[in-house]
Amino acid sequence: MNRAPSRLTKFFIYAILTLMTLFALYPIWFAILASGRAGDRLYTLNLAGMFVPTEWTWENYRILLTELPFLTWIKNSLVIATSTAVAAIFLGTSAAFAFSRFKFRGRQAGLIVFLAIQAFPGILALVPIAQILSALGGFGKAWGLIIAYMAGTLVFVTWNLKGYFDTIPIDLEEAGMIDGCGPVQSFVHIALPLARPALAVTALFGFMAGWGEFFLANILIPAPDAKKTVMVGMFQMAGEVSVPWGQFAAGAVFVIIPIVLVFLWLQRYLEAGLTVGGVKG
Amino acid sequence: MIGWSGRRKTLTILAFILPTLLGILIFSIYPFIFNVFISLTDRGKFHPNPDCSNTLWRVVEPTCWLSQEQRGIAEPFGIKDPWYKNYTDLIGGLFEAPGPASLLRVVITVLPLLGAWYLNRRLAKGLTRPVPGWVVWLGGLALTVLLGWLINVPEAYDTLLASGNFIMVNVRTILYVLICMPLFFVTGLAMAIILNNKFLRGVTFFRVVLIVPWAASTVAIMMSLVWQFFFRGQGTINQILGIFDIQGPTYLNEDVWAFLVVVLVNLWYTYPFFMVTILGGLQSIPLELYEAAEVDGASWWKQLMNITLPLLRPTVLPIIVLSTLTTYKIDAVVWGITKGGPVKGAGIPGATEFVMVHAYKQIFQTQAYGLMGAFAVILFIALFAATLYSLRVTRITEGVYE
Repeated sequence: MNRAPSRLTKFFIYAILTLMTLFALYPIWFAILASGRAGDRLYTLNLAGMFVPTEWTWENYRILLTELPFLTWIKNSLVIATSTAVAAIFLGTSAAFAFSRFKFRGRQAGLIVFLAIQAFPGILALVPIAQILSALGGFGKAWGLIIAYMAGTLVFVTWNLKGYFDTIPIDLEEAGMIDGCGPVQSFVHIALPLARPALAVTALFGFMAGWGEFFLANILIPAPDAKKTVMVGMFQMAGEVSVPWGQFAAGAVFVIIPIVLVFLWLQRYLEAGLTVGGVKG
Repeated sequence: MIGWSGRRKTLTILAFILPTLLGILIFSIYPFIFNVFISLTDRGKFHPNPDCSNTLWRVVEPTCWLSQEQRGIAEPFGIKDPWYKNYTDLIGGLFEAPGPASLLRVVITVLPLLGAWYLNRRLAKGLTRPVPGWVVWLGGLALTVLLGWLINVPEAYDTLLASGNFIMVNVRTILYVLICMPLFFVTGLAMAIILNNKFLRGVTFFRVVLIVPWAASTVAIMMSLVWQFFFRGQGTINQILGIFDIQGPTYLNEDVWAFLVVVLVNLWYTYPFFMVTILGGLQSIPLELYEAAEVDGASWWKQLMNITLPLLRPTVLPIIVLSTLTTYKIDAVVWGITKGGPVKGAGIPGATEFVMVHAYKQIFQTQAYGLMGAFAVILFIALFAATLYSLRVTRITEGVYE
């Protein structure tokens, strides 16, 4: 376990690491290569072209950004996902603090209800949500989708922040209390500033849940094209009769690269297990 | 908190949790209650609208809140007869003639494995053990295979699949989870052990690179679309095979291949989560234990089995439970690759049509909302039970004071 590996073992370990790296990166690399290929060809008959860029053109990116409604989709997704995350943080933070710090009747039951809601997938709530939204006029509108996302995101945010408040030592707040600081002040002046990084990360994960969601968005905003979110738009692009693969790949690259960068930046939070039970497992 | 109590305390707490409480009541609990109502009706494509003259519907049904006029020309929907008809349509097959017997036969086959697990736990408590753990497991496995052959489990499995679409997709999904979990765990463990080795150069680089698929999992639907290109008839895999003059199959049109492809792609999305978490667990194991084992001359394998794995238990158990639940609920990954195919015919679930995919397709295609309501209620009960169990394993509702 803890000794210097022999030369042969080292060779095998590096072989495994190389294979795994290929496995981990190739799909994304493949999309990058396809996005620079002229015409609507996803594949190339040229074997080398499958691994290194043998040709490169920005044409697909140009078409994607100027001729397709791609930027509108991006804007829609940004608006919807950001509103969901911000609203959920706004509503959920104080409850997270209460669940972490106060003892009250129904606390345990409340936490279990949270978990139950989180375990319940959004697809199954689709029928009642769609009925309610169409009765209230939110069907096919961005705010309807935001309301549909709120259910899951609010619980996620509250749950995640509660976990973070649990890790903040209570001593600071007790010191404040001796100086006459009530629960509200101790929340606003002590806990909130300490939780700022966690607030940011939780908001980011809440944002990403809305950003990548497909099923609710696909049903709740069926038309027109200009109102769709980016995931629905991309999926629709891949389902057309003659698929514009080059543009599709360009869109995929456009979406995936920022997310990868954000994840690499957040790596230490991932390793701290901040998101266990959160985004995806 | 010290120094405050009584009515003021109650009011303060209420003020803290009220926004979330209201949000959850409106966005989660009301839709669920509404869903329970829908599940008792024959609401669907042919009866989409409520009868607003009925007092009950006027209260529950949002369509009736604004105007009580009769909408559409179709007959309004009504309560099923008997009221639980939707539920029996879904899981009735489990309680009729060949259902219980086949289920029993499938379950019985797992018993030797459970026995092996139990025996191993008993043996581990003693100071010496007469037989090593893997022998017990191998014995259990052999017994399972033998038993499966004796009572003809494949046939029982087929009968079970034939007893209703809901049961079929559930059995398939459980099979899928059972295949995925060990794969996720072993891959995650292997990569974590490698990356935990201080004597290797470039580990930091690989640690960064190998979590990239985790990032991709947040846009699973899109990356799955990229993945499915590899497995098309003229896809990348077959192109590479073509160099060696091998004609590969059209993977996504064949049941077993499509199933395996979905396993592979889900492995891609999920192993970083296991790797990162297990790596954290590995780093919390004191090095002295390994040093002591070295002095005693324990082999690498013995150290793995007797130090690493037992001490990883508290890390691994919660993530396996969580991941079992998320894998059971797999949706976007499958939808991007196969859409639940290969297509068998209208209304017949394909080999990769897992529970959530099936639910989504049903909502889309048959538009039998009442039936889907029952579907949701049954799954909610199952998932709630599973969550309560996972709570016992992971103990995450404990606050700072407990």
